[in-house]
Amino acid sequence: MSTQISDRAPRPAKRLGSTSAHSPDAPGEFVEEPDDDPATVPAWDGDESVIDDSAPQQVDPSDIAVAVDGASMVYRVRSGNEYNSAKTRLGRQFKRVTGAGWAEVHALDRLSFVVQRGESVGVIGTNGSGKSTLMKLLTGKIRATSGNVYATSTPIMLGVNAALVKQLSGRENIRLGCLAMGLTPEETKAKYEQIVELSGLRDSLHLPLKSYSSGMSSRLQFAIATAVDPDILLIDEALNTGDAQFRARTKRRLDEVRSQAGCVFLVSHSLGTIKQMCTRALWIEQGQLLADGDPEWVTSQYQEYTGHQANNRPRSAKIAYERTRMQLNPVSVDFLEGTRPHRASLSS
Amino acid sequence: MAAPKRLTSVDDPRPERSHVLHLDGSPLIRVGAKPGLLQYLREVWAFRHFIIYDSHSRVSSSNTNDSLGRLWMVMNPILNGFAYFLVFGLLLQTSRGVDNFIGYLVIGVFMFRYTTTSINSSARSIAGQQSVVQAFNFPRACLPLAASVRELFSNVPTFVIMFLLVLVLGDVMPGDDPISVSWLWLLFFPVVALSFMLNIGLGLLLARAVSAYEDVKHLISFATRIWFYTSAVFFATNRFEGTPFEDEILAIMHVNPMYCVLDIVRQAWLYDTFADPSRWIVLASWAVGLLIIGTIVFWQGEEKYGREK
Repeated sequence: MSTQISDRAPRPAKRLGSTSAHSPDAPGEFVEEPDDDPATVPAWDGDESVIDDSAPQQVDPSDIAVAVDGASMVYRVRSGNEYNSAKTRLGRQFKRVTGAGWAEVHALDRLSFVVQRGESVGVIGTNGSGKSTLMKLLTGKIRATSGNVYATSTPIMLGVNAALVKQLSGRENIRLGCLAMGLTPEETKAKYEQIVELSGLRDSLHLPLKSYSSGMSSRLQFAIATAVDPDILLIDEALNTGDAQFRARTKRRLDEVRSQAGCVFLVSHSLGTIKQMCTRALWIEQGQLLADGDPEWVTSQYQEYTGHQANNRPRSAKIAYERTRMQLNPVSVDFLEGTRPHRASLSS
Repeated sequence: MAAPKRLTSVDDPRPERSHVLHLDGSPLIRVGAKPGLLQYLREVWAFRHFIIYDSHSRVSSSNTNDSLGRLWMVMNPILNGFAYFLVFGLLLQTSRGVDNFIGYLVIGVFMFRYTTTSINSSARSIAGQQSVVQAFNFPRACLPLAASVRELFSNVPTFVIMFLLVLVLGDVMPGDDPISVSWLWLLFFPVVALSFMLNIGLGLLLARAVSAYEDVKHLISFATRIWFYTSAVFFATNRFEGTPFEDEILAIMHVNPMYCVLDIVRQAWLYDTFADPSRWIVLASWAVGLLIIGTIVFWQGEEKYGREK
C-alpha cells in the first residue's frame, strides 16, 4: 500500500483564495449518469451551494461539532527489512545489521471538513483507504502528523475494540471498563444491569474472559462501550457481529445512544446502513477525501467504482473516480483571529 | 484488490478550488490535547477508582494459571528465604562480618525485589498495554500508577513473610544478637511509603522512555542488576574499609536511596537503633524529587502514548 501511495503527488487541501469554475451546480464534463443531474447533486451542505465559493464563509459557531483542519497521518512502523530506505551507504549497512528500520505508511493526506450538530456522517471507502485512521484521529488516540482535529467535546468511539483483560471474569471486566471510561463507582453500579442485559451473557459473567468465544467477548465489549452517552459518537462497522437476537438488541441501544448524541460518525461497508442512517456521507479513498455529500449519491458513486474494480476494469474505475472527484467541493478551515483552540477541555 | 496504480493524475484537470471556512473556535477544544499540569493531576485523581480497581483485580488474578493459585504469593517469598538460609546459613556458614546475617540478607533481598518489580512493571505499563491505551480515554499516568499500586499490594505477603523470617531466622547463626520486636519496627511503614513514591517517580520516567524507545527495557534489567550489587544487599559497607577509594565509595553508597531504605529497616529491625538521620533526608529527597520530575516528564509526553509502532 505504501508504494502505491508514495508515488502519487500529494494534493494540498489548503488552497486559499481560489476562485471556482466548478460550482457543484455546474456539472463537470465527465457527467454521464442521471445521478449527476444538478438537482440531485447536493453540495456538502444544502446552503453552501448558493454561496459564491470564492468568498470566505463563516459558519455558525454554535452549530459546529467537529472541525478537521488539514489533518494528515503518516505512520512510522518498525520494520526489519527497511534498510534500503537509508540515504547513506553507512546508514544502509547499519540498518541491515540491526534489522531495525522505520517504514513510513502514508495513511491520510491533508484532510479538512466541518461537521455540524445534528448531522449523521457515514464514512465509506475500500479497505486500507484511511477510514480507521480518521476515526483514531477524531478520538484523539493518536495525534495527526500535521493539522489538527477540533471538536466541542472529545468524540467517543463505540466499537468492539474496548480492551478487556483476559484473566478477569466478565463481571470484573464490566466494572474495569466502566471505570476506565471515567464513570464513578456509583455510575458503574447503575449501568451494570443495562450492560449485562445488552450483552446477554448473564450466565457466564463469573467465568474468566479467556473462556469466552470471540462472539461472546465482542458482545461484552460492545455492551461495555455503550455504557456512556457521548455527545459526539463514532460507531465502527465491526458491530455487525453476533447473532440475530444480539443484533436486534444492539440496534435498539444504538438508536438510543444516537438519539442522545449531538453528532454521529458511522464507519461501515454496508451501504444500506449508511443510506438508512446518515444524512451525509464521506468517501475516503487512498487517504484522500473523494466525495462529501448526500449518502444516496455518494454510495451510488462508490458502488460504481467498486463494481468496476471488482470486475477488473481499472479504466472505468478511474473514470468513476475522477467524475466523483469533480463534484467535490473541498474546504479548508481557518479560525477567526485568536480563536484557534488549544485547550484540552472546556472546564479548564 | 487490484487497484489501478495511479488514480489521481498529477496534471489534475480541475482548477484549484477550495473555499475557506472561517470558524469561531471559542466553543471548540483540540481533540487529544494534553491538559495543564494541575488539571491533569485533577483528572488522574478523578480516575483513582480505576487505578485501585485495576491494580486490585490484577493482583488477585495474577496466579490464576497455577494450580496453587494465590498461595504462590506467600510461597514464593518463603521459598526464597529458605534458599538464602540454606545457602548462606547452612552451606557456606558465612556471615561476611555482619551480625544477624540471615536477617540482613532477607531484608536486603526482599526490599530490593519490591523496588525492581515495581519499576519494571511501571516501565512496561504503557508499551505493554497499547490495547487499553487505544480503547479508552483516560490520563495515561493511570497505567504506571496502577502498576506501582499493584506491586505494592502484591508485595504485602512478601513483607509479612519477611517480618516472620527475620524474627525466626534472623538470629540463628552463632554469635548473632537476639532479635526482638520493638516500637522501632514501625519505622518500616514510612520507609515503604517513601520507597513507594520513589518507585512511582522512576516508573513514570521509565514508562515514557520505554514507550518512546522500547530498547530502554533491555537497559533496565542491566541497570537494576548494577544497582542491586551497589546497594549493599548482601554485604556490609565496612568491607570497603582500608580500600584505596574508601571515602568515595562510601559517599556514593550514602546517596543511594536503596541503601538508605535497607539501612533504616536493618538498623530498626536487627539492631534496635535509629539509622543515621541523613539516610532519611537522602531517601526523602530522592522520593519527592523523582516523583515531581517523573510526573512532569510523563505529563509532557501525554499526547504521544497512543502512537502505534
